[in-house]
Amino acid sequence: MNKSICIIFNKAPYGSQAGRELLDIALMAAAFDMPITAIFVEDGVYQLLNNQQPDILHIKNHSSTFKALPLYGIEDVYVAQEDLDKFKLDMGRLLDIDGIQPVATDTIKSKIAHSNFVLTL
Amino acid sequence: MATFSLLVTANPYSSQGQFSAIQFARTLLEQGHSLMRVFFYADGVLVASRLHAPPADEINLTKAWAKLAIEKDIELIACVTAANKRGIVNASEAERNALTGDNLDPAFEISGLGQLTEAMLESDRLITFG
Repeated sequence: MNKSICIIFNKAPYGSQAGRELLDIALMAAAFDMPITAIFVEDGVYQLLNNQQPDILHIKNHSSTFKALPLYGIEDVYVAQEDLDKFKLDMGRLLDIDGIQPVATDTIKSKIAHSNFVLTL
Repeated sequence: MATFSLLVTANPYSSQGQFSAIQFARTLLEQGHSLMRVFFYADGVLVASRLHAPPADEINLTKAWAKLAIEKDIELIACVTAANKRGIVNASEAERNALTGDNLDPAFEISGLGQLTEAMLESDRLITFG
């Protein structure tokens, strides 16, 4: 059994490269058949917002790649319900990613605890 | 004893991350652990330039990493995508992109993100310095 990775997106898109560069790590690790859990917390939930238009800022849009996570074999995708609530967001405002689940903080803690590696940028 | 790898994303000189990473690397080796690889990503790749010229009474991070790599036989790898877009290029990337020069310090290698994944597969711990 390959070692597992938990990747935590906790920053908003475009203000920094963190989301995009973390996404690249996730896709590469998936290509090595490492079991990956992707978790979106705090400002990171904004990475998943639908209808992003960063082209106005002349910044490349990486958000559509999140929709392809299941295609890359990343099927464990979780978003913090508490943070969605905090920002007055709901699942209807987010990208339509197959299998994405809103979860409670305790579930996120457990996912982190059960991973061999935890990465964030 | 454990095998470590490091992921260094901190901007050199702007923040403490690179200084901490070098101290951590030295200490874990002193304690008998092994260090497989240091992978530089995001702004961390900037340290791989051989053109940094900090004041004489300040540590030169590039040289500090190079010393560690040579003395302890540690791999220093910078992500090619992160490096090239931040102006860190080796001779072949400079030629491929028709640039006027290269600036990669010889102690560092440019390679892909697969090297980070491989570091995780082969290490017990990956510690990030951001």
